[in-house]
Amino acid sequence: MRGVCTVNDLLPFLVVGVTTGSVYGLAAMGLVLTYKTSGIFNFAHGSIAAVSAFVYYDLRTLRGLPWPVALGVAVIVVPPLIALLMERVTRSLAAGTVATKIVATIGLQLIVMSALLAGYGGAALDFPGFLPTRTVTVIGVNVGIDQLTSAIVAAACALGFFAFFRLSAMGVRMRAVVDNPDLLELSGTSAFAVRSRAWLIGCWFAAASGVLLAPQLGLDVLLLTLLVVQAYGAAAVGLFSSLPLTYAGGLLIGVLAALATKWVSHSETFAGLPPAMPFVVLFAVLLLVGRGRLAEIGGHRPAPASKPLMSRASARITAVVAVLLAAGVPLVAASKLPVYSSALVFVLIFASLHLLVRTSGQVSLAHAALVAVGSSTFSHLVVGAGLPWLLAVLLAGVVAVPVGMLVAIPAIRLSGLYLALATFGLGLLLERAVYGTSWMFGATNTLPAPRPALFESDEAFYYVLLAFAVAGSLLIALVGRSRLGRLLRAMADSPTTLSTLGLGVNVTRVTVFAISAFVAGVAGALYASQGRSATGAPFLSYTSLTWLTVLVLCAGLRAAGPSLAAVLVAVVPAYLTDGTLAQALPVLFGFGALLVALYEARAAKRRGSGQPLDELDAPQGSRSGERLGVPGPAAQRLTVARRARVARSAPARVRVGTGLAKGATR
Amino acid sequence: MLQLDGISAGYGGARVLRDVSLWLPPKSVVALLGTNGAGKTTLLRVASGLLAPTSGRLSVDGEDLTGKRAHTLARSGVCHVPEGRGVFPTLTVKENILIQAAGGDVGEAVERAVSVFPVLGQKLGQLAGSLSGGQQQMLALAHAYVTEADYVLLDEVSMGLAPVVVDEIFEFLGRLADDGRALLLVEQYVSRALELADYVYLMNRGRIEFAGEPGELDSDRLVAQYLGAHT
Ligand SMILES: Nc1ncnc2c1ncn2[C@@H]1O[C@H](COP(=O)(O)OP(=O)(O)OP(=O)(O)O)[C@@H](O)[C@H]1O
Ligand SMILES: [Mg+2]
Repeated sequence: MRGVCTVNDLLPFLVVGVTTGSVYGLAAMGLVLTYKTSGIFNFAHGSIAAVSAFVYYDLRTLRGLPWPVALGVAVIVVPPLIALLMERVTRSLAAGTVATKIVATIGLQLIVMSALLAGYGGAALDFPGFLPTRTVTVIGVNVGIDQLTSAIVAAACALGFFAFFRLSAMGVRMRAVVDNPDLLELSGTSAFAVRSRAWLIGCWFAAASGVLLAPQLGLDVLLLTLLVVQAYGAAAVGLFSSLPLTYAGGLLIGVLAALATKWVSHSETFAGLPPAMPFVVLFAVLLLVGRGRLAEIGGHRPAPASKPLMSRASARITAVVAVLLAAGVPLVAASKLPVYSSALVFVLIFASLHLLVRTSGQVSLAHAALVAVGSSTFSHLVVGAGLPWLLAVLLAGVVAVPVGMLVAIPAIRLSGLYLALATFGLGLLLERAVYGTSWMFGATNTLPAPRPALFESDEAFYYVLLAFAVAGSLLIALVGRSRLGRLLRAMADSPTTLSTLGLGVNVTRVTVFAISAFVAGVAGALYASQGRSATGAPFLSYTSLTWLTVLVLCAGLRAAGPSLAAVLVAVVPAYLTDGTLAQALPVLFGFGALLVALYEARAAKRRGSGQPLDELDAPQGSRSGERLGVPGPAAQRLTVARRARVARSAPARVRVGTGLAKGATR
Repeated sequence: MLQLDGISAGYGGARVLRDVSLWLPPKSVVALLGTNGAGKTTLLRVASGLLAPTSGRLSVDGEDLTGKRAHTLARSGVCHVPEGRGVFPTLTVKENILIQAAGGDVGEAVERAVSVFPVLGQKLGQLAGSLSGGQQQMLALAHAYVTEADYVLLDEVSMGLAPVVVDEIFEFLGRLADDGRALLLVEQYVSRALELADYVYLMNRGRIEFAGEPGELDSDRLVAQYLGAHT
């Protein structure tokens, strides 16, 4: 740090921060509004922004339409279509578990993102701005007219929405649906109709912020999709509930990010900090705010995931067969052997994720980052510190544990949603701010990573990996079947049990998270060793999303799930010669995960109010309630049915008495 | 007529209602009595569309509305004042009435609500959650009067209230009945409910075990037997 900063030094950053923050605030309000009204946190919120920006780009640049037309379509016409879809999807998800809901919108996000990447490529494109870029001087600071206009438009939308939400009849209905959707329905207003209005506004806000931010961020799928991260950082300031505070949170994040830009401009180490600011804010909120203030919205089924497709016995047989087949792979794979080697590493990665997601119902979105931590640590230990290979592999796992726990501990005590958000942020923070530092992969983003001397050849090392994959899978299976695993399954996703049992459950959850992180770290070390170099490139934060969706796709296969997931991720792309197909693969994964989530939510709903299980024990022919005689009031007369049954019915509790007693005590 | 025929319903695997039939004719008052956990609330939830039955038929004035959602039934003239406090705590009294009016004229709705419960008139700008228990219940009950629903389902609306408030509420119920609304009354004050009622249903373990006029109910004995209490 150099000397003191005067206000005048900071002013430009403040102005820039407020102008971008205003747009973040708008996006965040849309996110919070839809979350409050529907109970579903939309991880795909940023994708909506991306879609509208790309629609505008497509119509304006590629098709040459006049900008007002392109803008109108992108911001006014497209969002209602998305809102319609979102309302439908979230309606079907209402009965699902927290994990189901998270997976569904992450699936959506992956679909949109991968489709945009496949369609427009990953490189940032020039966004054809529609606002003048001349600058004007505001309180002594030069600001682009476009930026200023964006900020004012966003602020006006936010203000207009506050007024709408507080004053209009629809605003009252939206608040009513947050309070008690059943009561709203009893009053003759469809809760679904109100929610679809909320989705409409949420999507409009997302679309508007996408088009307003694209000129500054560039037309970059990843950056625009990440708007959801800015938005949830802002939402955290409003405790995922207050709309005005959420908008203020957007301003705060904008300003913090701008100030961070100023400070890190002197430091190579923290160059990635500004984009990770929302995570820092979220993390602070998670740490500082008690459970009561961050209650989760929306009812959730305590029911665990639906029945696996495979019985335990057949899963075991499959596992044995898989190991035997895997042992034979080097004989036939020839030049593709490295593909299978990395598949074995993925078996470990997916096994550790499986433990977390399927056994305990916790969704972690930092898994790729934990693997990356393992990778880089391994290199530092073996090459830097000269430790023996095996020791370095295991220690790489050990180091990944506290990194993951750091965010897991404050989040787990709250709810599955906050764990997902916090880990999403952690993955991003590590990727943006730490991957490039000397702590991890360094500026060149590659570190040497040797294999053990005795197993230098691809074939020999393949068997080392196979041994690790088997051992890791066994470890995970053991944990899953131990008392710990049963406990976790029993209370997977039951916030009420969670709070009644208190700390004990949180400790077990954290333990599972730690085991999972350890295995992920080990997998990272092996991945590096297999490739003979450690690099962060395969472990960007979006990889975590892909992994999650693939795992969910394969989850019906019990313990065999991770192996199939590994094949899908590592082996299948290697045999796809068609480039576009390979690019479209994540779209399919996203679709698959979305469908699985919808299916599970439907199954949970059916269990919730569907066919009675005790159909058989209902006595037959007891139509005591059936009416005799003709319709009309006379038909009300029933015989006093089954006097015999009256005699044997258990003596009932005192009702009139208790009623009076209750009346008296109030 | 609000008509439930052969209704079975439950939560998850547990079946609560078994083959229940109950008719609520226009302009009549029907009392539904039963012990704790008999399934009265569940029956009202089915009748107002909050809970879809697994079998059976629900109709209003001859129109089959089985499986329709609650807002449709509400628009067909069924008003359900639920167990507990049927108000939106974070909305003001006036906003609550706005919701109750379901798109109708708010000013008129407020007038009607205040005409039956004058105390609400002084609280229009106050959050419903900050009203006293009795006032909250009055607000919830105002719904029935505001909407001009033909069939009003009332689930223990006097629960937990001071005796004076209970009196006021029963007075209101009498007024609703005189106004020509049909009432389905689930009540803990059995004798007061029977005073109003034209018909009585007794429910036990998810079944109707008696239906008839209050006079037919050998009240002391039956009530003692079914409800384990003396009135
Ligand atoms: N949401 C629910 N989920 C599962 N079971 C429920 C639910 N609500 C009620 N039950 C069960 O259904 C049965 C009937 O409940 P219901 O509330 O209809 O009884 P009730 O007659 O209204 O009792 P009370 O006089 O105590 O209000 C009870 O055994 C109860 O445990
Ligand atoms: Mg009840």
